[in-house]
Amino acid sequence: MQVRPLSELRSADAAAFGGKSASLGELMAAGIPVPPGFALSSEASLDQAVDRYRELGEPPVAVRSSAVGEDSAEATFAGMQDTYLWVRGADRVRQAVSDCWASLDNPEAVAYRERMGGPPPAMGVTVQVMVDAEISGVMFTCNPVSGDPSVVAVNASWGLGLAVVGGEVTPDEYRVSKVTGEVLQRTIGPKRIEYGPGGERAEVPAARQDVACLDDARLGHLLEVARRVERHFGCHQDIEWAIDREGGLFLLQSRPVTVAPTREAPAGKSAMDLVMKTFGARP
Amino acid sequence: MATTSAETADFPSPFSIETPAGCEGWEEMYPYWALFDEHRRESDENRLWFWNSQHFPFPMPAFDMVEVDHPYYTLGGWQNRAFAVPPAMGVDYRVVNGYVYISPNPVTDPAKMAERAEYFQKRAGHYFQNWDELYAGWRTKMEALNREVESIHVPDLPEYEPDEVVFGDQNLSNIDLLRAFSHTLRCAEMMWQHHFEFLLLGYGAYLTFAEFVRDALPDIPEQHISQMVAGIDVVLFRADTELRRLARAAIEAGVDGAFVEGRSPAEIDADLADSEEGRRWLDELEQIKDPWFNMGTGDGLYHYYGSWHDDPSIPYASLIGHIDALKAGKEIERPTEELAKERDRLAEEYGALLDEEARPAFQELLGLSRTVFPYVEEHKFYCDYWFQSRFFNKVREFGALLAKHGFIGEGEDIFNLSRHEAMQALEELSLTWSTGGPPLGPHHWPPIVARRKELLERLGEWTPPPALGAMPAAVNDPIVVMLWGITPQRLKEWAGSQEGSQLSGAAASPGEVEGPARVIHGLGDLDTVRPGEILVCTITSPAWAPIFSKIVATVTDIGGIMSHAAIVSREYGLPAVVGTGTATSRISTGQRLRVNGSDGRVTILDEA
Repeated sequence: MQVRPLSELRSADAAAFGGKSASLGELMAAGIPVPPGFALSSEASLDQAVDRYRELGEPPVAVRSSAVGEDSAEATFAGMQDTYLWVRGADRVRQAVSDCWASLDNPEAVAYRERMGGPPPAMGVTVQVMVDAEISGVMFTCNPVSGDPSVVAVNASWGLGLAVVGGEVTPDEYRVSKVTGEVLQRTIGPKRIEYGPGGERAEVPAARQDVACLDDARLGHLLEVARRVERHFGCHQDIEWAIDREGGLFLLQSRPVTVAPTREAPAGKSAMDLVMKTFGARP
Repeated sequence: MATTSAETADFPSPFSIETPAGCEGWEEMYPYWALFDEHRRESDENRLWFWNSQHFPFPMPAFDMVEVDHPYYTLGGWQNRAFAVPPAMGVDYRVVNGYVYISPNPVTDPAKMAERAEYFQKRAGHYFQNWDELYAGWRTKMEALNREVESIHVPDLPEYEPDEVVFGDQNLSNIDLLRAFSHTLRCAEMMWQHHFEFLLLGYGAYLTFAEFVRDALPDIPEQHISQMVAGIDVVLFRADTELRRLARAAIEAGVDGAFVEGRSPAEIDADLADSEEGRRWLDELEQIKDPWFNMGTGDGLYHYYGSWHDDPSIPYASLIGHIDALKAGKEIERPTEELAKERDRLAEEYGALLDEEARPAFQELLGLSRTVFPYVEEHKFYCDYWFQSRFFNKVREFGALLAKHGFIGEGEDIFNLSRHEAMQALEELSLTWSTGGPPLGPHHWPPIVARRKELLERLGEWTPPPALGAMPAAVNDPIVVMLWGITPQRLKEWAGSQEGSQLSGAAASPGEVEGPARVIHGLGDLDTVRPGEILVCTITSPAWAPIFSKIVATVTDIGGIMSHAAIVSREYGLPAVVGTGTATSRISTGQRLRVNGSDGRVTILDEA
């Protein structure tokens, strides 16, 4: 099978369908809301892609590359992946899928693979129903800077996540305690740009720029989902999410945090060693 | 060279501080060793002194210097000579314009530190290993000491000695009088000795846990750290537990009508005494007074802070509050079971989030912190409230005797004599009582007392700078960090400009609120606090609890997240920012403030 619904995929399918598709399948299996869609293996044909798109009812979709070996904890293939949003109609889908496959041969990707080594390249593609995002962003199941595992760190901005991922806005930043659900930090960013329905870039009306885009209830919901995802995968996750205009929360991607700063554990020190150290009686 | 150090210092030279107008000669109130003096200029000018406003927010009355000398010679005794904390000897103090500045004496020689480490490990280790047993012994000896100081007999000086002196080999009354005064002072030294026996070790163990957790979980809110450790059923909460029980009993007995807001305790008592049920309730109240009415009305280190025995308006205000709440159908019990459950849940969840290698040390440190913490919380009750109020009341008895013989105008005036001068006055009284000759004291002491009263009032209007002398290269004295929260960051804030409308301190209790400020300089101002105000003070005491039901937030000059203001604020769910350094001098009553207890910021929103 070279084309399968995302909901059927599991981690083991990463070898054929790529990491992104496989992890979305895992999320769905864990009961976490993910926009429906299908995955193409590296062996699939463009015709198969178009057929399956028609079966989906030809909605606007996001077409994204899902490289084999991508999104593993060792390497992110950062920047090597293509994403086409608000793709409508069979012809455009065909073109987008074709572009994803072609991206394997672009010079950056070639250079990157040469540097990283590894098996010969293969590329899957993820096709998902577009979420008409009112708010979207990224969250980490730990503090990405300090590595503190007791918080979920959330970045959020208006519209599609493009603006956050692409660094076009300074998003709102939140830190939420996993232990009590308290919002420990809330820094409201100046959110000047948003990508709206259809993917148009627009200026955010002044009145909304400096308004927090997430309230405590939504942060609580994100926290709960983040904890489920972390538990499901058993390691810290870097998660893309979106909230649609009906208020539904969807995850668009989850991958292991690649360079989680490790906290230096005072290895082999007993409590008494540490107390003595406080008093300057031991090194 | 003095001028050189004055230029390079980040804080004013202690020798450059001017005497406020009309306060000339303030130095005579204090012992010679308490002053900045030319003979120590070179060393004193080149070290950091910071105002210990946590313990001494007001100018020191002459007698109250016992509360400076005794603590620092017992703290140093334990820290430097008994436990030999490797990098830190004791803490020196100096008085400037009536205010107490302190400075630690570091150990810098590595060989010396290594030598001290051997002592420390062995001696502190013994305490940590046998904590519960040693602490049980401590409680017993503290209770005995509290009863000892209370039971000291202050003899009157009779016209004729009783028969027992002649036929029963008893001491002369004047000899007993002098012995009694010495005994009272020796009890105070004993209290301070006991006070510091466990304190450093207790704080150190807790601080180690807190540091460990902050390091492993940098985003953890401070209050979660203390919540994991804090005792649920500690002595400090017991007094109020008893008051809640009595509030219920008053309603059950149908005598709650006596508790009307605005009535004095005496009026309430008189009303209660009118009925059989009321008298029975008063009996019940009597039974809890020992020991629970030994709660302090202030932080203990000044003679004018008594206990609930001396000023029952605080417990009566609590009773009125509890009775009103109960009648309004509100729950007044502390949810101890839920608090205990939440404390264990936090510990379990944070523990589970840690790496496997870090978990055993976390568990062990948590266990040790919970072992030592009862002392950290409870010593306040035994020492700072119970002992102190009994001690000062005993001193008042000597004051009354001196007043009776005309040496001072009224008993309270004894607190304007140093303990040495009080002894001198008692010695002269003893002499002239025995000789029958004319005493000089009635001419000598009253003008001194009058001048000192005036001095204290004027000095009270002066705002001491937070620090003097040289900015240290590093702050590595664990005791100073532990007890006063003096960190390089804090010093930088003090040295930096404190202009503008922003103050920052430690985020001690989360939440954000706006409201009008009420600046409180002492216990006497407490009744000016109106509902909805933000309390701005140098430091608070848990005995101020009743006003926490009126205010909406707290801002203090000094204190860390373990300070009383912080603990009580969390208990009441009020935002608190502590350790701002200058809140009481920069904020005026009536100004609108925004207090953010989550990030430690205080904003002055407008002018009064």
